[in-house]
Amino acid sequence: MPKVKNWQINREMEYPYEENRPKRQIGYVFDINKCIACQTCTVACKTTWTSGKGQEVMFWNNVETKPYGGYPIQWDIEVLQRLDGQSWDDEKQTYEGKTVFEAAPQGERVLGWLPKEEDYAYPNLGEDECAGIVEKGQYFTGIHPVWMFYLARICNHCTYPACLAACPRKAIYKRQEDGIVLIDQSRCRGYRECVRACPYKKTFFNLVTRVSEKCIGCYPLIEKGEQPRCVQTCIGKIRLQGFLSKPEEARRDNPIDLIVHFKKVALPLFPQFGLEPNVYYIPPVHVPRDFLEQLFGPGVESAIETYRNVHEDKELLGAFMLFGASPKIIHSFRVKGETAIGYDEKGDEVVRVPFSEPLYIRPYFDRKHDTYRHNIS
Amino acid sequence: MALTRRSFLKLALSGAGAAAISSLHPTELFTFFKPIDVENPLAAYPNRGWERVFRDLWKYDMEFSFLCAPNDTHNCLLKAHVKNNVIVRIAPSFGFSQATDVYGNRPSSRWEPRCCQKGLALVRRFYGDRRVKFPMVRKGFLEWVKAGFPREENGKPPKKYLEGRGKEPFIKISWEELFDITARTMENIARTYSGEQGKKYLKAQGYDPLMIEAMQGAGVQTLKFRGGMPPLGATRIFAQYRLANMMALLDDHIRNVGPEKAKGARGWDNYSWHTDLPPGHPMVTGQQTVDFDLVCVERAKHVVVWGMNWITTKMPDAHWLTEARLKGAKVTVIACEYSATCNKADNVLIVRPGTDPALALGFAHVILKEKRYDANYLKKYTDLPLLVRMDNLKFLKPEDIIPNYQPKPLNNYIEILKKGQSIPIQPKQARPMISEEMRKEWSDFVVWDTRKGKPQVITRDDYGKRFERKGIQPALEGTFTVTTVDGKSVEVRPVFDLLKSYVMDNFSPEAVEEITWAPRQGIVDVARQLAEHAGNTLITVGMGPNQFFNNDLKDRAMFFLAALTRNIGRLTANIGSYAGNYRAAFFNGLPTYIAEDPFNIQLDPQKPVKTKRYFTPESVHYFNDGDKILRVGKKVLTGKSHTPTPTKSILVSNSNSLIGNAKWHYESVINIFPKVEFIGVQEWWWTASCEYADVVFPVDSWGEFKNVDATISVTNPFLYMFPRSPFPRIFNTKGDIEIAAGLARAFTQLTGDKRFENYFKFVFDGKADVYLQRVFDNSNATRGYRVSELEKRAQQGIPALLMSRTTPKFIGYEQMEENKPWYGKTGRLEFYRDEDEFLINGENLPVYREPVDSTFYEPNVIVAKPHPAIKPETPSQWGAADDDLSTDIRQGRNIVKSWNEIKGTQHPLMRQDQKYRFIFHTPKYRHSAHTTPVDTDVVAIWFGPFGDIYRHDKRMPFITELYVDINPLDAKELGLEDGDYAFIDADPSDRPFRNWQQKKDSEEYEVARLMARIRYYPGTPRGVVRMWHNSYAATFGTVKGAKENPTGLAKNLQTGYQALFRRGSHQSCTRGWIKPTHMTDSLVRKGLFGQKIGKGFAPDIHCPTGAPRESFVKIEFAEPGGIEGKRLWRPAELKIRPTYEKDVFHKYLNGGFVKKKK
Repeated sequence: MPKVKNWQINREMEYPYEENRPKRQIGYVFDINKCIACQTCTVACKTTWTSGKGQEVMFWNNVETKPYGGYPIQWDIEVLQRLDGQSWDDEKQTYEGKTVFEAAPQGERVLGWLPKEEDYAYPNLGEDECAGIVEKGQYFTGIHPVWMFYLARICNHCTYPACLAACPRKAIYKRQEDGIVLIDQSRCRGYRECVRACPYKKTFFNLVTRVSEKCIGCYPLIEKGEQPRCVQTCIGKIRLQGFLSKPEEARRDNPIDLIVHFKKVALPLFPQFGLEPNVYYIPPVHVPRDFLEQLFGPGVESAIETYRNVHEDKELLGAFMLFGASPKIIHSFRVKGETAIGYDEKGDEVVRVPFSEPLYIRPYFDRKHDTYRHNIS
Repeated sequence: MALTRRSFLKLALSGAGAAAISSLHPTELFTFFKPIDVENPLAAYPNRGWERVFRDLWKYDMEFSFLCAPNDTHNCLLKAHVKNNVIVRIAPSFGFSQATDVYGNRPSSRWEPRCCQKGLALVRRFYGDRRVKFPMVRKGFLEWVKAGFPREENGKPPKKYLEGRGKEPFIKISWEELFDITARTMENIARTYSGEQGKKYLKAQGYDPLMIEAMQGAGVQTLKFRGGMPPLGATRIFAQYRLANMMALLDDHIRNVGPEKAKGARGWDNYSWHTDLPPGHPMVTGQQTVDFDLVCVERAKHVVVWGMNWITTKMPDAHWLTEARLKGAKVTVIACEYSATCNKADNVLIVRPGTDPALALGFAHVILKEKRYDANYLKKYTDLPLLVRMDNLKFLKPEDIIPNYQPKPLNNYIEILKKGQSIPIQPKQARPMISEEMRKEWSDFVVWDTRKGKPQVITRDDYGKRFERKGIQPALEGTFTVTTVDGKSVEVRPVFDLLKSYVMDNFSPEAVEEITWAPRQGIVDVARQLAEHAGNTLITVGMGPNQFFNNDLKDRAMFFLAALTRNIGRLTANIGSYAGNYRAAFFNGLPTYIAEDPFNIQLDPQKPVKTKRYFTPESVHYFNDGDKILRVGKKVLTGKSHTPTPTKSILVSNSNSLIGNAKWHYESVINIFPKVEFIGVQEWWWTASCEYADVVFPVDSWGEFKNVDATISVTNPFLYMFPRSPFPRIFNTKGDIEIAAGLARAFTQLTGDKRFENYFKFVFDGKADVYLQRVFDNSNATRGYRVSELEKRAQQGIPALLMSRTTPKFIGYEQMEENKPWYGKTGRLEFYRDEDEFLINGENLPVYREPVDSTFYEPNVIVAKPHPAIKPETPSQWGAADDDLSTDIRQGRNIVKSWNEIKGTQHPLMRQDQKYRFIFHTPKYRHSAHTTPVDTDVVAIWFGPFGDIYRHDKRMPFITELYVDINPLDAKELGLEDGDYAFIDADPSDRPFRNWQQKKDSEEYEVARLMARIRYYPGTPRGVVRMWHNSYAATFGTVKGAKENPTGLAKNLQTGYQALFRRGSHQSCTRGWIKPTHMTDSLVRKGLFGQKIGKGFAPDIHCPTGAPRESFVKIEFAEPGGIEGKRLWRPAELKIRPTYEKDVFHKYLNGGFVKKKK
């Protein structure tokens, strides 16, 4: 088994193929503190790509409430309980347990499990439900003793995809130009090895066409320099899509690089699984840390601290202001005074965003239009 | 180990691989192999031609813009992608950052994107099977029309023609027939109930004589029109009121009384009917509502989100809240559960529902006690220093103590109108106006000047800086004695002193903890933070607290708190109420449209319109309450200016709230609609309102509008056009304004009077935009805009900026920044109400009343220790019994008790039956805007935890269903499992409908009694259960359909209507509640349009609001939750539900799967 470098767990690990990072890697940052679970992303995706027969229960994008939600049902617990001895060396930030590749049973390439058909029912099970019971009135501040949060999920377009590793037909591949992971719809024969292998359960079997399908990273939009549908329609403005550099090549003026590599305020979901997923989450500040570290690894506390102080960090605040501001992909940015400016690949300005919306006061009497302007009219 | 073809072959023939392909024929297996070799799929892939599939899927032929406006207050310009003449997809327009106004102001890209899941899902609704596709009439109704409108002795149509509502089939007819039938029916009803004969009929039918009298003999006054929330379609929705005004022509035709005496029809209210109006706002500020564009919060240091589930109901503006936090603001959420919005909060305070006035007074207690308020602010901006006479509890007036006192001239942002003086059109109204008569009536006010040690007259002008300049130091505290002109010694006290003693006596943190359940530390902390950020706190109050009976008291108490902390009327310091898209006043030129004189129609588009309002506005609440007014004993508690008329005809557009999702819905269906002779509904989607209609007019969906129109938003600064759509109509529909015009033409055909038709002439000429341009030209905030230009930009997905005084807009700018007085009598923020209606009801001070139904204690009782200013009249003084707690009498029952007395009492239902122990409340939610897209499949599947697109359980009414959220510990006590079905019953004296006991085995009761799933919801306190508001009720057709249809769907097989309940609705448990202080003839308030100040009833400003969040229920097991009623609901069986958790789930909750080594 080849050894590959996985920076998220700060070590080498086993993977069925040699390391081969694409020329560009699609990357996303999702700020959980802003997610409102409106499912606009879900419906944007659904009405664009999966409204056909056999796709009824298929949501390439979904938002679930943690801890009681999960689509398919308890997908994460199923993996967590199969993967023994997950531990981090806090000082070195190195993962010392096994990844799903390293823990694969004899003769298999990934430690996986296959959901039942009915596990895809109740996609919003657990919506808004909190851990802990409210008995009467309550008051709290800081970390909530009663808590829940929303986790928006798409395919992670992993650097080391488990679906790709498991496909017996090698019908799953990673595009060199953007790192998007695709299932070749013409060659897939529906063995469901990818469904079994993906720990995030983001490959799906179509019961009508009998082949597997997954999120395509909206490549028809990416190819035109536009962000994916789930990002463009995100009204919580929690999402930013761009291209994430390798850690050693990170550019500070690339907003995704700044957030992930420099400020380390956004973290991968279940890095211990070993897939090097490329959706990075800003952890919710109000949730007990033990739960968050289970999901996002040992960087949680420092990420939250950085996030809590972002109002004092204009550079980072500027990057955050770009979320949702433009349908175009932002390749670089800079902060000028209290304004963030985003640029496309060629360096042309795409969008300009002030830290505060302007206040306009109109004349009490507008002579030209012969009218008074009132707020109470 | 790189995977080669050979190793795959080995794998394919062994183990898992073999199992996966064993179903295939052996020879078939090898035909799959094409000569494709993939060395490392991370590095290269040879077969990429197939990727074209998704590129093709994305391609589209054209796009066009349309406006989605479901009365959620947002209004999003969306883009539809069209392929092969079918709308295939919807996207945000990204045009908001290009909006501008005549001054060149521009918002930024932070406004992008604006849309939501419901709007994007419209693609599945435009073509949905529940579209109203052609004009329809109910069978029995058509028979009545064809029989020539036969009537019985008391004037009523024979029962057989009416009783088929909700049961009979509809018949497809032509548009011409539909218009003709409607016009003839209205004419017949108006004629029947006109004059002396009409009065006799109505008397025989049992209507209140005051209501009959209010008609003044005009039968057209029994015709009711309602247009839904007005700003949502200035000319489209308000066409209903134009129709109502046009009915003056019909009255003249019937009674031949001439233009002077003719009456129009009645127009029903909206904002107040929806219980969106915060009725205390006009009591404090003299105008409709204080609010601010939600974007303002990004500048505040502290944001208090109070009873508002912001992130679910204000979705496109949720980012301003989370970004405020990102920029360092503290967010405090006050809610009656761990609401969705709590997960965005720094401080969370969970309280008992309906106790918000007590909580506000509790915060005030801390601030008063710790002297954390600014006394100077109170002295110059509020009525708190004004003196009250302790002998009659009225304000001390200068004429009480100064012989021959004449009120002083006023000139501070006020104009006194001489009798008969005409007022300019709205754009030229510079300042508020009052009649000379009212000015005299108000007189002036008196404070106690502490420097001189004597009373000092102040006028309405003495406000803010102008007051400061006078150098008066008024007392806020103390008891003083004055000598009146008739020589008596009278004790007087400042309002502040009275209010402070009430607060200090009753609302200590300890008492408030008991009343509200808010832990005292939370009360103290939040109060201190409010004081710490005085002048930098924005308070957003949602519809939660507003939907309780004590809602005006809540507003008055909250404003008091806001005044103590200087958080009113500023960009970063204000208190706003958030419910409904209401402020029609931004289109204050609307009278040119809805009140154009039908006897003098202006047919020249360029010339000014003569207005004369013939129609009478009215609150729907009286109809909802049984078409009656409120009486307790001999006392009439409905003010004269509010008095409704009997309802015989209803025409409604753009609203399911009047019928299908009305409070006390089944009472309407079973007991009230039988008194109504015509119900017409204009809809594009078949709702429960259509189910009970006599005729249904199919209208265009938002994607198909053929007439330009405009709307505004109360939560954002944009002015939106509904641009005309290039997309052809999908079905045989018309625009609402065309329906109004069609109806007008039918009246011309019926009467021969051309004026009906001419009243909508520009619609027939294809120039309906003339009406809108007139509105624009005559409104302060739109004058200067050309409809045609704004429409062109809207077609590009770009809105305009509304030209209010400021952007973002916030109420109070002029009052705080420019020191212009408010709109009440005193010009100040008013906390004391000395009008008789408030005095007799014990609400001259902002007191706390227990909720009227949602309480464990004696309902609606005033919480107070003996206080010299709280002296209401009691039912026994009016000829009723003081201990009568029946729901009707309870509304006007003014009993005062201290908290210590109250806490030993019980809700009357608890005394009857201990199973009654739950407060049942029905807030709004994220997956629907009212009822609008809740039943679109891709949205519905996300509505709650029971969404299952394959409906494994055939009992499910739809692919999802409504449920009641209950604390798991309560459910266990009741023996209810998670996912079980249960019955939820409110007060049996009147719900689900009056006299159901006589129909216990009837179809009516089966349909009306609420049954729904139980969800174990750990976020709601014990004793409080919740069901979402947004849904489609069970109807006769759906209950029958579920039995007859092999799929089990709760779908009416005749109409296609789809319910999300097997039985009943959340409105099975609600009822109409009418509060006396909402019905005064004396409250001074600005009118709906323009600067004129009047008093008494004003639609959407001063009238009843109901209390739809109030209900006290019992919950009983109905069926097990597992598939087909067997066993447990699967997720509970899997032990992954709250309180069912298996060990591994506990480990997960505690983060136990991962260890950190130091």
